[in-house]
Amino acid sequence: MHKIQSFPEYQVPGAQHQDFSPYESNGGSIVAIAGEDYVVIAADTRLSSGYTIHTRKQNKLFQLSEKTVLGSTGCWCDTLALTSLVNARMQMYEHLHLKTMSTEAVAQMLSILMYNRRFFPYYVSNVLAGLDSEGKGVVYSYDPIGHCERTTYRAGGSAGTLLQPVLDNQIGGKDRDVKNKPKVPLEKAKEVAKDAFISAAERDIYTGDSVILKVITKDGITEEEVQLRKD
Amino acid sequence: MYSHNNFIQTELWKGGPVPGQFYNFPGTSQDINAGNITAPGLYGSNRSSSPITTGTSVIGVKFDGGVMIAADNLVSYGSLARYQDVQRVFKINEKTIIGAGGDFADFQSLKRSIDQKMVEDMCYQDDIEMQPKSLYNWLTRILYNRRSRVNPLWLEMVVGGMQDGVPFLGHVDLRGRAYEDDVVATGFGKHFALPLVREQISEGRLLSQSEASQVLRKCMEVLYYRDCRAISKYSVAVSTAQGTIVQGPFEVNQNWQLATLVKGY
Amino acid sequence: MSIMAYNGGCLVAMRGKNCVAIATDHRFGIQAQTISTDFEKVFQVNPRTFLGLVGLQTDILTVHDRIMFRKKLYEDRENREMTPEPFSAMISNFLYEHRFGPYFIEPVIAGLHPKTLEPFICNMDLIGCPNKPDDFVVAGTCSEQLYGMCETLWKEDLEPAELSEVISQAIVSAFDRDAISGWGATVYIIEKDKITKKQIKTRMD
Repeated sequence: MHKIQSFPEYQVPGAQHQDFSPYESNGGSIVAIAGEDYVVIAADTRLSSGYTIHTRKQNKLFQLSEKTVLGSTGCWCDTLALTSLVNARMQMYEHLHLKTMSTEAVAQMLSILMYNRRFFPYYVSNVLAGLDSEGKGVVYSYDPIGHCERTTYRAGGSAGTLLQPVLDNQIGGKDRDVKNKPKVPLEKAKEVAKDAFISAAERDIYTGDSVILKVITKDGITEEEVQLRKD
Repeated sequence: MYSHNNFIQTELWKGGPVPGQFYNFPGTSQDINAGNITAPGLYGSNRSSSPITTGTSVIGVKFDGGVMIAADNLVSYGSLARYQDVQRVFKINEKTIIGAGGDFADFQSLKRSIDQKMVEDMCYQDDIEMQPKSLYNWLTRILYNRRSRVNPLWLEMVVGGMQDGVPFLGHVDLRGRAYEDDVVATGFGKHFALPLVREQISEGRLLSQSEASQVLRKCMEVLYYRDCRAISKYSVAVSTAQGTIVQGPFEVNQNWQLATLVKGY
Repeated sequence: MSIMAYNGGCLVAMRGKNCVAIATDHRFGIQAQTISTDFEKVFQVNPRTFLGLVGLQTDILTVHDRIMFRKKLYEDRENREMTPEPFSAMISNFLYEHRFGPYFIEPVIAGLHPKTLEPFICNMDLIGCPNKPDDFVVAGTCSEQLYGMCETLWKEDLEPAELSEVISQAIVSAFDRDAISGWGATVYIIEKDKITKKQIKTRMD
């Protein structure tokens, strides 16, 4: 306000002062489930802010290599900046070492890149899914300033709080009378991921339109799309 | 430390990219001109935390074989309809068109940089032109860099054109938030125009060129009725495989007969 | 921190086939400090009607007392049992009377109509806006988690045994992802001829 007061000619009734926030929440959710020899990662395709839906077909899964896919939601401009930075760094790694970055290496790098912006963070919720160097499925999840945790399943983004207990229950086998946890077959993982999104779309206005599901196995990556409610 | 292979660190040409380093976009921290933007002056630094001269909605649609972007010809000064004959949609080259809303001064300064790039393209005489996706991506980086210094270019832009012979349509805003779609709009257009256009697009089918220009005409009419920062004169930029052209200005259809029935104000 | 989340806790109620279920956690705490682990937030107000209250613990006790007072006056005057629907309306009115200085609680009502045995569930915000859906209602500090669980596990026409399993899984998985709910749970299954109370052991952290 002081700035404007020193320029009285700008003090017209129409030209009003607006505060600028560099952040904006653009919604979106991610679910990732890892198995013995596969990993499933899914994200919805709605891009929104407040009550406005910008587009109903925004892919939020970024394929980083043949074995690694990153799901990223939150402040969409930060997602764009972060993912293009990751891509550039992976390119540089490939030129330097003449090999593709492993999922573990990408996971560590992502943590460092995000912590580099500790005091002006990327406002994003990241879930990294891939096959590790032994071919096992892994999921890494992050907070906005780069805290990294290796898990076997994770829900993130705007419906993360709704879906994480669902995964605990259906995939983690928590609270159920299961002595030795059975291995989750791929088909079950896919079904749980889809059902999770159908449920999330019921209660979270920032999740909906459709969900893109990627399955990573040693044979490559397959993709499918399931329609969600669009209101 | 790296003095023995210092030759690797040198830039390819003056102000150009350095091998093994990131290319520094104009206006980023390593750019020599960057200091001018945020360096404090005698009385501290100034940031545009609000737009001054503004343009309102821009609407873009894809049709079979091209892209159209429409915006009215008004640039406002607050609530004053200050400049009533200004183009807000532009031909960038034979493949790319752009439309801008938000602070018009910010856009003019950005447009000068874009035009400079077009001159460079022309100087090479290699018939290679900037494609819309390149411009779109370049804009996201410029806008994102400015927002990251909390000194944004207060713009909301629609970029369109023919990308390798396929219609391209994208949207970029002051934070560098960007997305592509078959129909995009800014400002009030998001609320009024998007539903009108989507109503015309049945699943998986694009509009024809004449349908597209008709629906844009309807959108501009509705916006003129309901958006206080809109006027009845608008222009349309069209991009097809044959090239790009800015048409207009056109006058929207007006019908104020209903106005006599409106009571209670 | 919101006053609604000062003591922690959660509730959920579900409709089944000719039955309803209501579940509560056991925790009573002051912010992050757990005070006791036997504080049930569900009260039986009639043979087939249950009232759950979450939010500020002092208000839970006060509101419970004052609601019971009004309910007893009603039943003495009318000389008949108060059915779930007017019972909810009464709570709604009571809460709205304090529109500008509200009790910091969210009620959940579950029951069967004493004559028709029609299942009934209802919840409200702290100023008494009622919500009577035909599937489930949730309240408390882990309501988001409960929404996720209920939305995936619940389906129409669950038999009492299935309903009991669904609501137990829902509340336990939900409050395990909430630091200020949990420490055991109690589930009530309300059928026309019996009430089943089930205490669930859970992780105590």
